[in-house]
Amino acid sequence: MRSPRSVPVLVLTSTFVIGLLAGCGSDPASPDAQATAGTQDEQVTLSVVSLIPGSEQAAFDAFDERVAQFEEMNPNITIEPVEYEWRATTFAAQLAGGTLPDVYEIPLTDAKTLIENGQLADIDAQFKALPYAADFNETLLAAGMGEDGKVYAIPAKSIYGVALHYNRALFTQAGLDPDNPPTTWDEVREDAKTIKDATGVAGYATMAANNTGGWQLTAATYSRGGRVQQDNGDGTYTATLDNDGTRAALQFLHDLRWEDDSLLADTTLDWGTINQAFAAGQTAMYTSGSDVFTSLVETNGVTSDDYGLTAIPTEGADAGVLVGGTLAAVNVKADDATKAAAIKWIDFFYLSKLLDQEQAVADAQVRFDNGQPVGTPVLPIFSRDQYELSLEWVADFINVPLDQMTGYTSVMFDQPVVGEPSRSTQETYGALDVMIQAVLSDQNADIDALVQQGNTTVQALLDAD
Amino acid sequence: MTLIRTAAPVSHGRRATPPDDPPASPRRRPRRAQRDAERGAVSEADWHRPVLRRSLGASHIAMLALLVVWGIGPLLLLVKFAVTPTQDILRTPLALFPHGFAFENLDEAWNDVRVSHYFLNTIAIAAGAWVSQVLVATTGGYVLSVLRPRYGKVLQWAVLATLFVPAVVLLVPLYLTILDPPVGPSMLNTFWAVWLPAGASAFNVVLVARFFDSLPREVFEAARMDGAGPFRLFWSIVLPMSRPILGVVSVFAVIASWKDFLWPLLVLPNPDLQPLSVRLPSLQGSTDMGVLMAALAISTILPVVLFAVFQRMFLRGAGLGGAVKG
Amino acid sequence: MTSYQVVQIIEPSGRRHTLADWVRRGGLSRLVFALPLLVVFGVFSWLPIGRAVVMSFQETNLIESSWVGMDNFRAVFADPLLGQAVRNTGWFALLALVFGYPVPLVGAVLMSTVRRMKGLYSVLAYLPVVVPPVVAVLLWKFFYDPRPEGVFNTMLGWVGLGPFPWLQDQTWAMPSLVLEATWAAAGGTVIIYLAAMTSVPAELYDAAEVDGASLWRKIWHVTMPHLRGVLLITLILQIIGTAQVFLEPYLFTSGGPANATVTVLLLIYRYAFGQSLGSDYGMATALSLLLALFLGVLSLVYFRLTRSWSTS
Repeated sequence: MRSPRSVPVLVLTSTFVIGLLAGCGSDPASPDAQATAGTQDEQVTLSVVSLIPGSEQAAFDAFDERVAQFEEMNPNITIEPVEYEWRATTFAAQLAGGTLPDVYEIPLTDAKTLIENGQLADIDAQFKALPYAADFNETLLAAGMGEDGKVYAIPAKSIYGVALHYNRALFTQAGLDPDNPPTTWDEVREDAKTIKDATGVAGYATMAANNTGGWQLTAATYSRGGRVQQDNGDGTYTATLDNDGTRAALQFLHDLRWEDDSLLADTTLDWGTINQAFAAGQTAMYTSGSDVFTSLVETNGVTSDDYGLTAIPTEGADAGVLVGGTLAAVNVKADDATKAAAIKWIDFFYLSKLLDQEQAVADAQVRFDNGQPVGTPVLPIFSRDQYELSLEWVADFINVPLDQMTGYTSVMFDQPVVGEPSRSTQETYGALDVMIQAVLSDQNADIDALVQQGNTTVQALLDAD
Repeated sequence: MTLIRTAAPVSHGRRATPPDDPPASPRRRPRRAQRDAERGAVSEADWHRPVLRRSLGASHIAMLALLVVWGIGPLLLLVKFAVTPTQDILRTPLALFPHGFAFENLDEAWNDVRVSHYFLNTIAIAAGAWVSQVLVATTGGYVLSVLRPRYGKVLQWAVLATLFVPAVVLLVPLYLTILDPPVGPSMLNTFWAVWLPAGASAFNVVLVARFFDSLPREVFEAARMDGAGPFRLFWSIVLPMSRPILGVVSVFAVIASWKDFLWPLLVLPNPDLQPLSVRLPSLQGSTDMGVLMAALAISTILPVVLFAVFQRMFLRGAGLGGAVKG
Repeated sequence: MTSYQVVQIIEPSGRRHTLADWVRRGGLSRLVFALPLLVVFGVFSWLPIGRAVVMSFQETNLIESSWVGMDNFRAVFADPLLGQAVRNTGWFALLALVFGYPVPLVGAVLMSTVRRMKGLYSVLAYLPVVVPPVVAVLLWKFFYDPRPEGVFNTMLGWVGLGPFPWLQDQTWAMPSLVLEATWAAAGGTVIIYLAAMTSVPAELYDAAEVDGASLWRKIWHVTMPHLRGVLLITLILQIIGTAQVFLEPYLFTSGGPANATVTVLLLIYRYAFGQSLGSDYGMATALSLLLALFLGVLSLVYFRLTRSWSTS
């Protein structure tokens, strides 16, 4: 008798085989490449990034007002706001899953990698059509350009330089003058110790996890004249993690941790949690982007009174300040009509407030009415003069404590500016993370060995590209 | 989908003990005989020996004290922190409310941090996962145990085989399946991505099938004689008799869903849809410690209450999960 | 006799020839009942397993995939972090075994001798198991604050023990993880042992007493052998479970400090989901298959060995 099981067995094994075959089938993303050039009258729906989910209702109201203003000016474009939070780990999945909006924001650091991977739309043609295309700050613009010299992402907002943030109340409590923040790394060390001895609170803290530690260590390196990567000009890069600046920075952290006991001993701090610690009064000083005040107010409830901002200490030849920011990019699956609409939106929402007085006032009014910070110091996307002009336009609406930020604002345009490492940025940061964590968690950490090892790891990655 | 956590996985077992007798034949024994039958290593005579009784008694008391600290200690601290001001938590965590209470932590957690919203998400996810698991386990168990088609053995082996595959192997391909399912659009950022894979629990299927095996066949025969088809049999005979095992499966389904972390983290990147287990860690950087503790406390209420109410079912199921005869 | 059996007698050999016959004999309703199982397991269990094998030999970036043979496996073995991950995972499993295996047994044995309020003991022991793992980890993370004001440091300070670094020290981090993991899971093991112990037939104890056995001897010679099956199974299940530990290293330390708590699962997660912009699904599936293979071989060897013990 023929086995009655042969059929079902066949069915079941074919399920497994289908599973194997399913893995074989490649899914070519075939974007509907409508090569038709969009006309002025074509109706386009544009999905754009609005705000981070969980933002205040007032912030959403402000955003919606701006959207309404835009749609009035461009009746053929309908805006679809999408709450969005950039996370590198979910970006690739969102891209494949088709859940990315047409216009979204990416950090400066990640643009180059995305461009390399072919995950950003080429918006060079639309960009060049902008009247002010030639006025952008060149370093910033270069961050959004591919190796072919075409523009894939446009500098949009929050251009920052890494700076030193400090708690004025703790300074006062420890007998230090809050209007006289430290200007050299040695002074930072002394003040940290004074604060620790007088108040029991850690005088200094550093990010150490999720690649933010590496980001800050790079900033600390630049501030001491070192560089973590070298562009050899011929397409190859050399990792220079074993430079003196990085060594000195690690030694600094080591000494604060193990000799002075003035460093907050937490190897899990990242961008968000260090803000939290600062807001909770667990550390008196730390370095981060100069625009972090906005977040401190909106997310962590910091009040203006206790906050102070000053420049990161720079010492030695070649010392520089690490800069970064946010770019606006367009979904790689967008057709030409969408791209044209996208550029219009980017122009209106992100850039017009810097170039057009009417828009600047409209934007500031909306923010002010909804209780959001206006006037947080940022670096200019265009020129310094243009930036200062735009500040004059909104002078009536500025509500941040600028007089407590003079340590930074008085030098922010004169500081030599250095971009982030351009190749394998996140991996470099990851390798630096490990160094910080090692120094903070092992009193006998061998700094020389650490930097050598990190260097080898990153060099291997750079060579593999 | 639950990844095996650490020691003592409660929900993975190679074989289950025969389940309780179905309600049709309750056990009735004289109390003393019952006590004798379940006596354990210590005999009545042992208890009369003073040295043994005292040392055993002392060790019981010591153990009880230890267990109270072990089981309740951390939870008590959690509740305490939930109503303590943040600065007190950070500076003097074990002090007894030097600056009074901070009940507003709870209000802030529930409303501002929107724990209420994530709480609802968690409930919605648990409900759907429960439906999915009960549906697959009962219908699957029914097929394997009662209907017994010709391909039943093959099916059973295919299901059992998945018990031997560590959950980590499924992680990436299942994720890609969610992104790009065989039919329909991406399931990313939908609850279906959590509900559907939850049903693929071989343990549930085996557990229910075993239980159905133990149901008296005479009842089925009688029903069939009366002309009941397979659907009637399932709905009106088998299911009502399966309340005990369905209770166990349900309780574990809900708890497993409540605890699930990695899978919802991957397939629900939209914070609006995330359950408590995924949302709470990301709140660390944006929430005061006191409010965070309040949020943690609120998330613990339901499982603990469920446990308190359904103790017996939990403990019986936990024993079932791994008890093996020799 | 059911109609099914009647049909068997009339047609002892051969298969149904028509669809109508099949439907009449209940084939359709059987299929309908089997459908949820088939669909759910098929799409969400069997297919992915097959796909995992395939993907480990491919390189894919969600837009397209290409065959790369053993490259993924080679890359995994070439990863300097792999050795550390394996060591860390082994260390975690070993510590978990040392802390988490005997303690529940001793507890269960003691609890089995309790006469009054048995239930209370079980409930207290099992309570940590129902606490959501995320809550437990975040709570314990706070307990592990390295400052002298930290909860554990304060309590240890009462008995004169200095503040410890807990999660902030490369040597202390893993044991700290294991401690919390044991707290969260030991209760489950206790209940399993207790359930097994109640199944020991009373006659065995009676017989032992007739031979004059003391309590200790009774436990050693009657209870323990009866538990052998459970103990052996629990041991291998625990090893398999701890080999896949993810939540604790991820939430407590993200694998730090300085990779001291990176486990194999964490490494797989990093390959697939943790890398900033170039997820390597191929390497992730390759490593997960290697792990599955290792655990499979381990289980086989284990059962071979224990079978020879059980038969003695």
